[in-house]
Amino acid sequence: MTIPLETRELARRLLICESDACKSSEPEVSPTLRVYEKLRQSLGTFAGIAGFRSLASRALALGKLEDLGLSEFRVTEDGRLLGLGEIELQNDFDQGTGGDPAAEAGIILIARLLGLLHIFLGEALTASLLRVTWPGVALDECNSEKGRNA
Amino acid sequence: MSTQGRVTINKLPTGVPGLDEIVGGGLPEFSFNIIAGAPGSGKTTLAHQFVFANATPERPALYFTVLGESAIKMLRYQQQYKFFDPAKLPDAIRFINLSQVVLEKDLGAVLEEITKEVEKANPAVVVVDSFRTMVRIPQSDMDLQSFIQRLALFLASWQATTFLIGEYAEDELRDNPIFTVADGLFWLRQTAERNSIVRKLQIVKLRGQASVPGLHTFRISDAGMQAFSRTFGLVGHVKEPPSHRRLSFGIPELDSMLGGGVREGDSVLVAGSSGTGKSVLATQFIAEGIRQGEPGIVAVFEERPQAYAERASSLGLDLETPQKDGKLEILYLRPLDLSVDETMHSILDAVQKIGAKRLVIDSLAGFEMALSPGFRADFRESLYRMIFALTGIGVTILSTVEVDESFTEFPFSTYSISFLTDDIIRLRYVSIDGQLRKIMVVIKMRGGNHAKDIREYEITSKGVVILGKRLTDYQGLISGIPVHSGRSDQKEEPSDHPKIRA
Repeated sequence: MTIPLETRELARRLLICESDACKSSEPEVSPTLRVYEKLRQSLGTFAGIAGFRSLASRALALGKLEDLGLSEFRVTEDGRLLGLGEIELQNDFDQGTGGDPAAEAGIILIARLLGLLHIFLGEALTASLLRVTWPGVALDECNSEKGRNA
Repeated sequence: MSTQGRVTINKLPTGVPGLDEIVGGGLPEFSFNIIAGAPGSGKTTLAHQFVFANATPERPALYFTVLGESAIKMLRYQQQYKFFDPAKLPDAIRFINLSQVVLEKDLGAVLEEITKEVEKANPAVVVVDSFRTMVRIPQSDMDLQSFIQRLALFLASWQATTFLIGEYAEDELRDNPIFTVADGLFWLRQTAERNSIVRKLQIVKLRGQASVPGLHTFRISDAGMQAFSRTFGLVGHVKEPPSHRRLSFGIPELDSMLGGGVREGDSVLVAGSSGTGKSVLATQFIAEGIRQGEPGIVAVFEERPQAYAERASSLGLDLETPQKDGKLEILYLRPLDLSVDETMHSILDAVQKIGAKRLVIDSLAGFEMALSPGFRADFRESLYRMIFALTGIGVTILSTVEVDESFTEFPFSTYSISFLTDDIIRLRYVSIDGQLRKIMVVIKMRGGNHAKDIREYEITSKGVVILGKRLTDYQGLISGIPVHSGRSDQKEEPSDHPKIRA
């Protein structure tokens, strides 16, 4: 199960967005963790903490198969992610695959999480949910009709 | 008390086709409602349709999920329905999961959480799905009834129309104090009847306005829930005043027997055994209507529309052109688990679409067979409602019914429905001079006088053709085995054109 390119691209855009925010406000928190936490907050509200935790665990398990850099991470009972913030503070998400390893791990994890949302909710509904949290990020690719049946 | 100064209760669209009429025009705004039923009965779908029909970003809907189906899975399935608009999430429709609060805290905390979210969002609609699961909260400081009473009071004050969804079995309806709190109680039933599933909806209570009583059929398709009111969507329709116009069959002799034709708005029953020409007569009736500029509907259950039109063509009647011109619709109604109400809605839609003045139901036996077994027990009652509703809007109905030919009886139908019809035309075989011939007689015409003649007829390439004059030289024609009386006023006919001999 490979990540579709558009999902990976969406993850990268969200991480860039948070990376820019990191530079101005909270440099001590990694962009990956910021994206993850925002997803946890918004998804946890409507799906419940348990619902989010199960999705995040699955995303991490899938991510670990692709990137050994994720092997030390785990999802806590309340859905938080441990093990990421300590190694990654600022990454260059503008680079392609094979660039910054920490950035690559972040892209894979977030892309896996978004991929699960696409599978379960479809692209259109996923885009609607993301648009609230990241109103400035282009999500046009997520509005395709096929998303309903994803 | 005069009506001046009374509060006006706004009615909100339910989002479920057919349900607005059942609830009396829409759901009362700010009402506190319970949707009850067994798992799989359509409770969540009903709530979703209401939410999608009413939620706006300015006055959103808050959809609280508790224990049970996960919100992600629920949305995964619900978005397959056509009414589901993902663009409404999460601005206009917000899903909030309370599982953690329910699992870790008590009902007081649940109420506090709902209160907090409602005050924050100012919603027009609030749904708790499923509130029944909260009963299982251990060591709660509040019983469920107190919780619901406080929730109802709070949400009404905050001007929210509310739905609580709960799994309930039939026997839990009585003496349940929770239901006394609700303004509206919607009970959804799903029962297996032999090989069919029958879904029915009942508005057990609805404060502030009159709903249509009884059980209403509903169906869940990819469009969502659709309800079929027992009043067939005709509440508020003004009944057409009695018409004195007569509608022709296109068979002058038959029109004459009927005193000039069928009275407009009548229900006519054409009864006879197999092969007596009931469908031919029905086709001539509809074709003559089209010829006179009266659009028609034919509801067939025993053959496909194409076959029906081809058979008409063999009689020199063109049903293809009027179909293309929108003057005729041939409905083939044979889905599984069909209910009378659904059939009625299909017919009514067609009637309204083309402005039909004539309707043929061919045949009642086929109609009954197309119904789910569970609905067959109510066939007579449903037929009564259907005929009453359609003739009430000025449609003239001709139904055919097959009767078992007997040489000792002269039945009009096997359904004991003759009292439902205004006019009855009976067709039957008779044994005369070593031949099996056909006779026709008008049994009844509610609206006026009619001929008492028994006439012989044939089915030719031009349809039903009535032969000669009335049969006067035989006694006991309606028994099927007449006795020659020797009295005749008819001339002898050539042997290649069979007529009753003098």
